[in-house]
Amino acid sequence: MSAVIADQPGTPPGGFVAGLGRRATSGGMVSQVLVPVTAVLAALVVGGVLIALDGVNPFSAYREILRAVFLAKRGLSDTATAATPLILVGLGYSIAYRARVFTIGGEGQYLIGAIAGTAWVTAGGVRNWPGFPLIATGLVVAAIAGAFWGGIAGWLQTRFGANVVISSLMLVYVADSALQWAVRTGIRDPSSFVPNSRPLLAAELPRLPGTSTHIGFAIAMVLVPMATVFMARHRGGFRVIATGFNPNALDANEISKRKIVMLVMLIAGGLAGLAGMVETAGASGRLGAAASVGFGFEAIIVAMIGRLHPIGVAIAALGLAALTIGFESTQRVLDVPSTLVGVITALIVVFVVIGDALASRGRDGR
Amino acid sequence: MGLADGTALVEMRGIHRRFGDTHALRGVDLTLRAGEIHALLGSNGAGKTTLVRILAGLDRPDEGTVSVDGHLVERFDPKRLRSMGVALVQQHFTLVPTLTASENLVLARPDGWRRGPGRSESARLKRLIAQTGLSVRDDVPAGRLSVGEQQRLELLRALDADARVLLLDEPTAVLTDHEAESLLSVCRSLAADGRALAFISHRLAEVFDGADRVTVLAEGCEVLRDEPVTGHSRSSLASAMIGHESSGTFTDRGGREGTRVDGRLVLAGIELGRLKGINLSVAGGEIVGVAGVDGNGQSDLEAAVSARAEVKVGRVELDGLALIPGKPRSRRTRGLAYIPSDRYQFGLIGSMDLSDNLDLGRVPRWRKSRATRRAGSVSELALWDVRTSGPAARASSLSGGNAQKLVLARELDGTPKAVLACYPTRGLDPGAADSVAARLVRCASEGAAVLWIGAELDELLAVADRIVVLAGGLLLGPFFPPYDRGAIGLAMAGETEGVAAR
Repeated sequence: MSAVIADQPGTPPGGFVAGLGRRATSGGMVSQVLVPVTAVLAALVVGGVLIALDGVNPFSAYREILRAVFLAKRGLSDTATAATPLILVGLGYSIAYRARVFTIGGEGQYLIGAIAGTAWVTAGGVRNWPGFPLIATGLVVAAIAGAFWGGIAGWLQTRFGANVVISSLMLVYVADSALQWAVRTGIRDPSSFVPNSRPLLAAELPRLPGTSTHIGFAIAMVLVPMATVFMARHRGGFRVIATGFNPNALDANEISKRKIVMLVMLIAGGLAGLAGMVETAGASGRLGAAASVGFGFEAIIVAMIGRLHPIGVAIAALGLAALTIGFESTQRVLDVPSTLVGVITALIVVFVVIGDALASRGRDGR
Repeated sequence: MGLADGTALVEMRGIHRRFGDTHALRGVDLTLRAGEIHALLGSNGAGKTTLVRILAGLDRPDEGTVSVDGHLVERFDPKRLRSMGVALVQQHFTLVPTLTASENLVLARPDGWRRGPGRSESARLKRLIAQTGLSVRDDVPAGRLSVGEQQRLELLRALDADARVLLLDEPTAVLTDHEAESLLSVCRSLAADGRALAFISHRLAEVFDGADRVTVLAEGCEVLRDEPVTGHSRSSLASAMIGHESSGTFTDRGGREGTRVDGRLVLAGIELGRLKGINLSVAGGEIVGVAGVDGNGQSDLEAAVSARAEVKVGRVELDGLALIPGKPRSRRTRGLAYIPSDRYQFGLIGSMDLSDNLDLGRVPRWRKSRATRRAGSVSELALWDVRTSGPAARASSLSGGNAQKLVLARELDGTPKAVLACYPTRGLDPGAADSVAARLVRCASEGAAVLWIGAELDELLAVADRIVVLAGGLLLGPFFPPYDRGAIGLAMAGETEGVAAR
């Protein structure tokens, strides 16, 4: 070894995150489909018990969720809107984790993307551009900025051997501080009393025709098959997967493993940065001090339930978004606390981990 | 010899084991007796390792019975078998590299949940060392022990649990001749204490030096069952293993002088790690053998020539162009085939399928569908005689010989201009080793410059046009055929009268 680099690119931590990479990429249909589906059902059953403890019939609560998502006027549109950032950040995680690069810093890359994109589209001279070039350049700037933020963690790993789990997480706090400075000083709207950026106005994402969802959802849905093809048919996908299994063999025959660590950090960062701008320009309309709402962390769960597969990520993100939208409605109609979503999400994680452990035991024949 | 001499400690009867379509064991019997050493021979993939894994409880038979000390084994579980006195020393070490020798012992068999490793544990290690004569340092982490020491520590750990039945899976494959000899003599004294030993080996010499009885497996069947070694000769055992009389090692040196192209692969003044200025020029059509004892710079030479490591002093050139470290694909496009010494670490990706492994290092920008890729690699696998359930199998499911053939299939595809072969026959049975050697010789006769780093001198003597010796980071020699074994042996022992090789 010529320089300081850990044997495994992401210096896998013990416990849950490492297990996630190892298990989700091995095994057949059982761990790929059966485990997450069973885990979701089991979590919904336990959630139903909790609803019953609240004195509400769980069946009417779940019926209300289905109604709110599928029958209510804006149900599907709201679900798609809520799922969009999760899909984008989750796609990045799903690729990085296949290489066993365990970044958990999507939230920071998301914020940096949102700040940079907003700064660009609200900058004097630029903000008067017409809609399309303004939106397109804003998204590109955000993706580049997010990739840069992810690349810092990648560079710290490949150059100094710093653990990506830790460095990417720490960069989240740096990014949040950058946000607080930006909305108060850097890109503050001079005519506003609250710390805020200028409104995005012409840079706001247009709606998809016939829905109340912005075009960010369409972008995410285009990126899902692109990521699928990348992983299954492009050389880069092969290299990412090979890095996860045996970085030394890749290093000796195909490409330097450090380049792949950098590549997945740039991809993950770029997608998270894009998500930040899509959310700001699609849903918020301007960047506020409370822009960090945790999509970057929730997407870790999305990647895990989606089995690190792009299509699985999309399904998992839409499912979690539907639960969120549905429970907002049950709170209004039946007074069931919407915070139950968090409980159910956490239960899904626990059950997936248990299911993976059981599945791998079954494979070992014990 | 011990008191319980000749008592059968282990009886395995009619063992069958299938892995998918592969029938690894087809009704094998094995009897291990107290006071005896039993050698298990067979080609790669014959089922030897599966057999001892079953006996150690790491695998279970589909049919057949196993009894230890007269008790029928009903549950195949390593803990259960260990408590019955069976211990397996595996081919791949299972030590914790960051713990010392005595800490590794305590980890395997804690004698109290409260205490960490301390004086009593190192006393335990010292006592074991005194009893067995297996010396292991206790002041460094196990990961920094030499391979021989790690092996001895594995053995000590098995003896610490007071194993009556010791199974050794290719114990000498990684050892030097001297270490192997002393290991065999320890085995003899352990057997004299009334233990039953079984070892898997590829080296016939060891069987005659160490074993009392021999069983030969071929494709899951017993060719020879439980026969006394004294009734056999080297050639009869070799023919039982590979099915025909082995001529010993592959020999073919003639007929490629005409293809010589001077200076195809040039090493100039390389200093890296242990290497202290290596100069060597290999002509196209020539096989240069690098002899020497492992640990004299062999791994640095491998890293430098394969461009895995960046060479700061000196240079490696192929047809006048330097190889670029950090761009492994350029190695292949320039025409250097690389057969790594550790094929599982640097040659193959165990968790990926065979067609992906054939693609490694030459993946096209856009790949075909998985089904097409697999269908396309069927003929290539057949051409190189990789025996497997199919291209969808994982590389980790291959036996050693087939794994090496897979590496060759990828690396020697096309017409390489130069071949770096590092211990290409290590761990292979004579049949597979011969076919690997023949492939390399064919590369040379097609004009490739072959640099063969080897451990077995006989093999190098048989194929190499020129032999240099790597000792203490320096190249000694060259030696030309007919070879003077004595002179080469002296050079390997570090006698530096020879001139540096050109």
